[in-house]
Amino acid sequence: MTGQPPYDEDADRVLAGEYALGLLSPEDAALFEARMQRLPHVRALYAAWAEDLARLTDDIPEAAPPAELKPRIDADLFGAAPTPRRPFAGWRGFGWLVGGAVAAALALLLAVNTGLLDPQGGAPEQAAATIAAEDGSLVLLARYDAAAGRLLVERQTGTAPAGRVLELWLIAGDNAPVSLGVLPPEGAAQVPIGADLGAQMPGGLLAVSEEPPGGSPTGAPTGAVLASGVISPV
Amino acid sequence: MTHDDLEQLIARTAMGERSAFGDLYAGTSAKLFGICLRVLDDRAEAEEVAQEVYVKIWRHADRYRVNGLSPMTWLITIARNTAIDRLRRRREAQPGLDVAETLADPAPGPEAMAVQGGERAHLAACLGELNANRAEAVRRAYLLGETYADLAARFDVPLNTMRTWLRRSLLQLKECLTR
Repeated sequence: MTGQPPYDEDADRVLAGEYALGLLSPEDAALFEARMQRLPHVRALYAAWAEDLARLTDDIPEAAPPAELKPRIDADLFGAAPTPRRPFAGWRGFGWLVGGAVAAALALLLAVNTGLLDPQGGAPEQAAATIAAEDGSLVLLARYDAAAGRLLVERQTGTAPAGRVLELWLIAGDNAPVSLGVLPPEGAAQVPIGADLGAQMPGGLLAVSEEPPGGSPTGAPTGAVLASGVISPV
Repeated sequence: MTHDDLEQLIARTAMGERSAFGDLYAGTSAKLFGICLRVLDDRAEAEEVAQEVYVKIWRHADRYRVNGLSPMTWLITIARNTAIDRLRRRREAQPGLDVAETLADPAPGPEAMAVQGGERAHLAACLGELNANRAEAVRRAYLLGETYADLAARFDVPLNTMRTWLRRSLLQLKECLTR
């Protein structure tokens, strides 16, 4: 007897099932994928398993995702800004908060900050930010004085929602927000800034969230972010 | 949403039509998010994975026909595979994590049984023809991403024995499903 052994469809059927279940080693999975690409009948074996095994999800109860998921997907795909006043649902990085346009401006700013505009090196002594709501309903001006180790925050317009307070946050890069304290109901506030935080100020983002009286109970923002602004050198 | 509705929405999504993508999301996100929740048993992670799933759906909608899957199976498979990838990464990061608690009772309750169509009953019946441990191994591989090594440890058999078991079970299952 010579020649090839008879084609063993059972072996391929089992392999397709193992592939569909994710039981193959990465090497074997890659080999199987290559065969699927070449051979329609192997593709059909896989498709049959995928259909059968997908029935295992039939008795999993449906669950509506949170309303903010779709805007996040759209922001990921199309760069659209997430809905304003979105509550912090855990920290998910910079782009989610500030939206595409501001993130791009910030990236540019960071690039500029790391070289071109600051040929002597070192952090600028003075930096400032306009912390503003998208609709202009809340505007604060912040000025950072590195030598004095102090951030001055002046309210231009807007107030906290009834029964709530405004809390100021510093967000540097992908770091979690750091609370800079609860702002007084009106007027200006002076926030002492230590050297550690001071180093994160240039290029960072200042954001204001609304929180229960006394400020966030968790150490992270819990209410809606009302306003934000990038800190740029003066 | 019917098979044809889904195919149309996927085709339009592949053309870059955002409104079709929105309709596809509206019609399928509860199902796919349910799968992510079940696999991961963690709401925050399930949200992140569901986000990843729909980003993949948008980006790969033009590849939907490549494997010849029905539209719902294609979507379910993307959700399941993405969730399993995440679960496996989590397990690698936390060796020794016992996932037994994350598996809900695999037997559907009477209500679920009542609403299931013929296909599901067929699969359930065929799984029922297998030895209970072997059916459980297939479920665990699919719904929890357990590997041969995980399964061998769980059922306390040598790795090669586990492989042989599962391969035989697959053939037996297929024989029943195509009967």
